[in-house]
Amino acid sequence: MRKLFFYAPLALFLLLALFLLSGLFSDPRERASATLNKSLPAFALADLMQPQHIWTAEQLKGETFLLNVWGTWCPTCNAELGYLTELRQQGVKIVGLYYELPRDPAFDAPFNLQTLQQDVSQKLAQHGDPYQFNILDLQRSLSLDLGVSGAPETFIIDAQGIIRLHHIGDINSQVWRSKLAPSYQQWSQP
Amino acid sequence: MIVEAGQLALTFAFALAVLLAILPLYGSFVANKPMLLLAKPLAFGQFFFCLLAMLALIYAFRTNDFSVINVAQNSSSTLPWYYQITASFGSHEGSMLLWVLMLAGWTALVAQFSKALPLQLHGRILGILGLINVGFVAFSLIMSNPFERSLPFFPVEGRDLNPLLQDFGMILHPPTLYMGYVGFAVAFAFAIAALMGGRFDSVWARWVRPWALAAWLFLTLGIMLGSWWAYNELGWGGWWFWDPVENASFMPWLAGTALIHSLAVTEKRGTFKSWTVLLALAAFALSLVGAFLVRSGVLVSVHSFATDPGRGLYLLVFLLLVVGGSLLLYGIRMNAVRSQARYQLFSREMMLWGNNIFLLTACLIVFLGTLFPLFHKELGLGTISIGEPFFNQMFYYLTIPFALLLGLAPWVRWKQQQLLPLIKPFSLIAIASLMLALGVMASMQSVQANLGLLGLLLGAWVGISALAEVMLRLRQFGSVSAGISKLNASHYGMTLAHIGFAVLVVGVAMTKTYTVERDVRMQEGDSTSVAGYEFTLTDVYDLNGPNYGGQAAELDVSKDGGYVTHLHAEKRFYRIQRTIMTESAVHARLSRDLYVSLGEELPGNAWALRIQVKPFVRWIWLGGVLMSLGALLALADKRYRRKSSVAKQEVANA
Repeated sequence: MRKLFFYAPLALFLLLALFLLSGLFSDPRERASATLNKSLPAFALADLMQPQHIWTAEQLKGETFLLNVWGTWCPTCNAELGYLTELRQQGVKIVGLYYELPRDPAFDAPFNLQTLQQDVSQKLAQHGDPYQFNILDLQRSLSLDLGVSGAPETFIIDAQGIIRLHHIGDINSQVWRSKLAPSYQQWSQP
Repeated sequence: MIVEAGQLALTFAFALAVLLAILPLYGSFVANKPMLLLAKPLAFGQFFFCLLAMLALIYAFRTNDFSVINVAQNSSSTLPWYYQITASFGSHEGSMLLWVLMLAGWTALVAQFSKALPLQLHGRILGILGLINVGFVAFSLIMSNPFERSLPFFPVEGRDLNPLLQDFGMILHPPTLYMGYVGFAVAFAFAIAALMGGRFDSVWARWVRPWALAAWLFLTLGIMLGSWWAYNELGWGGWWFWDPVENASFMPWLAGTALIHSLAVTEKRGTFKSWTVLLALAAFALSLVGAFLVRSGVLVSVHSFATDPGRGLYLLVFLLLVVGGSLLLYGIRMNAVRSQARYQLFSREMMLWGNNIFLLTACLIVFLGTLFPLFHKELGLGTISIGEPFFNQMFYYLTIPFALLLGLAPWVRWKQQQLLPLIKPFSLIAIASLMLALGVMASMQSVQANLGLLGLLLGAWVGISALAEVMLRLRQFGSVSAGISKLNASHYGMTLAHIGFAVLVVGVAMTKTYTVERDVRMQEGDSTSVAGYEFTLTDVYDLNGPNYGGQAAELDVSKDGGYVTHLHAEKRFYRIQRTIMTESAVHARLSRDLYVSLGEELPGNAWALRIQVKPFVRWIWLGGVLMSLGALLALADKRYRRKSSVAKQEVANA
């Protein structure tokens, strides 16, 4: 028994090495999404361009679509607008979730919807407009519920309103082909 | 040309390392004296060629040779000359070469300063160090060659050094830290040699002690410098972040601290042998695990180098061979070793055993906290993260009993100690620390029962007890003045290091409790008051540095109407890397730091500023400096330089 005791450090080390080996082949930045395969959280948020219209989770059901979290302040989001517009032309339904940055009352100018609308229109005219419509997440409540860690992020939501995929980072032709398109096609089958 | 010469030198170093790994080791088993005698020149030769390689790389950086990929990616012609030199170890490849150079340096030092060792052991230790050298030089040559060229097409300008690394700390922090990491290779080699030969007595422990102390000294300094650098450079006044890579340096430090204490028991009492050997293996193994974590990309950290699974795999295989092999040897050989020393429950041995338990628990906590997210994920349980609150709470619970024990332990005798004679001095120490802690607190602010008070109490307890213990020892020589020169240097070293710990505890607790932080919006001429200090923004203007632009802010600070200091904070924009860096303005005093960092420009000609008053924050690094000085004093102890009788005999026989 005493003899075996001296082999304990070796055994523990080998166990550690096993974990390190498997860790070597997985991406440390990958995060499991907590919202996957769950319904879109309930919300009631205004449309960015027609603020009198209020969108709810219920209204988005019926068709598989991409929910793209973005903002004009985010250069990567602007960069992917062009490719997303191509996708829209191919018939992919994309809804924008506009992520407004938090404002510090001591430092920043107060929020102005008109300025934002102008800003957004200008950006979309410049890079292409992939969106059916944009939902304004002014308090970032829906983004928080969705587990958004930054922009751009994209969710695939099926006709029943269930989140099927959570993609962190930009979408380009390669990412679309290898990751998003298979899932989109799978869930848009009737 | 010079760059190719550097590549060639590194190849020569590899060849010599291979010879060093084979000849003396083989010679030690067949008792071949010429082979054993080769160890020393081989070690020197290897160090010489590693040094040439490093110099060639520095040359490439200084001459802006952008055909070398490493130079093109980490330097630029506008970089100041001192950062061009430090940029040579700013990348993964360059830092690996520095690591190799340090390892070769330690090997050469062992070759030079271990004349007292029996020849067989000397050759064996150098041979083991040679084996480790082979692994790292090969890694540098094959997996991360710092001399790789991008001919025929190369850029005309480099991408510049990461602005975070363009700081005075960069000059000092990596070399000292690596000296520490790699230094534990020596204690490791001694442990392996002892496992091979089956000899772990007091003499062996006396041989290892200075090497372990030296490595620990560098690691302590290195970690402390890193903390000080982060405080100055990152701009929000933190000094420790529990980042995976910081933890990777903290684990070998904890194991190393346990090792130097356990070695004391093995030297003085010839016991704790299996512990000591295991700790010597563990300190270096944790250094290697740290290197793996930083360079393989298994964990996400601000410190990580660019990741490459090939490199990770190489390091993992190397780790398996070195650590797995040594632990296997440990398992096979250690059960033959028996410790026969007897000691009572209340004895110095038990106190140091307690020290080891606490330090290893701390090490385990850091280990689990760092790697648990990885385990969790690889077991398919999903992603989690473990952050500062976990570590802070755990270390809060650990530090209290550890500090109490630390105050008591130096007073306790070896073998056994009567409780009764200690009651009186310790009652006095307890009363004195209570008075000191309350006094300090009352002089600064109102007395409150909080973390600050606890830190002051523990610090005073450890500090007063350490000082009183030295006085007691001095008096035992007859008179204090007569004793001063008679007491061992290592005893002074221990006392100084323990006082360093006390200072550190006070610093951490007071900073945590009493830091005042304010984010303010200021225009030129505005004043704001933080913790009794009046900060006035006098001027903001554009900067024009060699490779950066940006803004600088000038502030005047006064307290109760009296002028205190002038502060100069910068916000730099590095043109090539297009990154913004904060150069905080710090006014340091022993009792507090004034810390200002310049933020964004705001509408209306105003600026965001973060102003902090951090009491006792200097004590954190002062504690680290005192601990390192303690180790230096202990190293100066004469008994490590006395020739052992074994070596004398061998000389006589020769």
